[in-house]
Amino acid sequence: MKTFIKVTEIWIPDKHRTGLEFGSGLYGELIDFKADSEQQKFSYNEGLPGKAWAAGHPIVLTKFEHSYFKRTAAAKDAGLTCAIAIPIFSGDFLMAVVVFLCGDDEEHAGAIEVWCNNPVSENRLNVMDGYYGTLQHFEAISRQISLSKCQGLAGLAWESGMPVLIDDISKGEAMVRAHDAQQAGISMGISIPVSGNTKQPYFMTFLSAKATPIAKRIQIWIPDKQRNQLICQQGYSKNSNDLAKIFETVSVNKGVGALGRVWLTGMPVITGDHDPVYNPELESLSSMLAIPVIENGRLKAIVSFLF
Amino acid sequence: MNRLNVLLIESDPDNTLLENSLKDHGHKLLKTLHNFDFLRLIKEITPDVIIFNLYTPSKKLLEDLQTLSYQSALPVIMFVSDGNFDTINQAIKAGVSAFIVDGLEPNRIASIINVAIARFKYQQSLKNALEEACAKLEDRKQIDRAKAILIKSKNFTEDEAYHTLRRLAMDRNITLGEMAKNVITMSELFK
Repeated sequence: MKTFIKVTEIWIPDKHRTGLEFGSGLYGELIDFKADSEQQKFSYNEGLPGKAWAAGHPIVLTKFEHSYFKRTAAAKDAGLTCAIAIPIFSGDFLMAVVVFLCGDDEEHAGAIEVWCNNPVSENRLNVMDGYYGTLQHFEAISRQISLSKCQGLAGLAWESGMPVLIDDISKGEAMVRAHDAQQAGISMGISIPVSGNTKQPYFMTFLSAKATPIAKRIQIWIPDKQRNQLICQQGYSKNSNDLAKIFETVSVNKGVGALGRVWLTGMPVITGDHDPVYNPELESLSSMLAIPVIENGRLKAIVSFLF
Repeated sequence: MNRLNVLLIESDPDNTLLENSLKDHGHKLLKTLHNFDFLRLIKEITPDVIIFNLYTPSKKLLEDLQTLSYQSALPVIMFVSDGNFDTINQAIKAGVSAFIVDGLEPNRIASIINVAIARFKYQQSLKNALEEACAKLEDRKQIDRAKAILIKSKNFTEDEAYHTLRRLAMDRNITLGEMAKNVITMSELFK
């Protein structure tokens, strides 16, 4: 199994909170790119993480050359052609910037989109930015349509204010692009509300094909009614994973374990690593990225991507 | 004795006593000096046995033999003049099967090679058995750790934890030890 995302990074504010420094990352075999990234620092509005911080919303960068991207040569050597930066805010304050990097090759089918309000009509969502790899026809359709609340993945996430995962898009009644997605080979998707520092809502939508899923497994964790514990609301992977299911039946206390720390601190976290014998074809899970979904300073959910 | 592919390394290239004796026994022979290319040469010619005839093995040679014993061990016979106890110890640690001090006699070569090969095979079987036992012990530790994780996180009994682990391993068609490692890795992710 090959995953759509090749690199995952977390950039965190430095001790003065005026710049961003390397927090952690998953690079697989891309050792040189890792070494280059670990040395990087970004000021406010500098480089992709700095730009996302300044913009206050997610950014998709589909061309590195002649752009503000600072690691163009290293990314080119690593076969990376696209990057997505997602700032995580709690109110006005930046907690971290999560960056995904993808490779643009024939084997990787999928799309990553940023949806936001249509400036003309506040009740509609449009694609603000997106990366579609080789799915040009699907991209053209996606950029033309607009969604109301309850329509499509992003519309459902807008309506509920929660992450929404649909494991079979072709069967989703609210899926406006179901037919086109099916034709493009896209089978599942997840939309995540992103709390920018503006009042405008943003939604990250990850769409993936069965052959190249976004991650080996995706989970949505939510606080229980008493807000004492996190419970796993949904877990999805291409193939059934009974081991992951066992861990998804365990409740997580605030501050305890990786997910508990995400809840306590509001910071995304990466745990584990692709070990030297990492085999993307195997079902075993060796690393995790957990992203908090924060609204008005409160945790609404945690989305975890397991690789 | 079978016809062997012998790599002969002598410090004195003009000394032909050992070379002639090996040829008389019908062995295929390559004679050379020890140099930086030693390990690559072995990889290339894949000898059945390596024979040294030296005053004493150098530090570099012992290091090369140590590397060889990890990569692809071979029977190694060493004829030397230096009978220093430390040298003997280092040579044995480096995987030398026969270490003969001042004992190069052509009529004994055949039996020395036979004994060295037999000793090498025996040592290899012991080494393999030890590695297997260590791997089993490591698996056992991992299985116990994985069971403890399942008991703690799911309130399983020890029996339930073991059966869950076994079922998961069977579903994935992997060993219990491998499945235990997966459980441990998974729990580390949520730590």
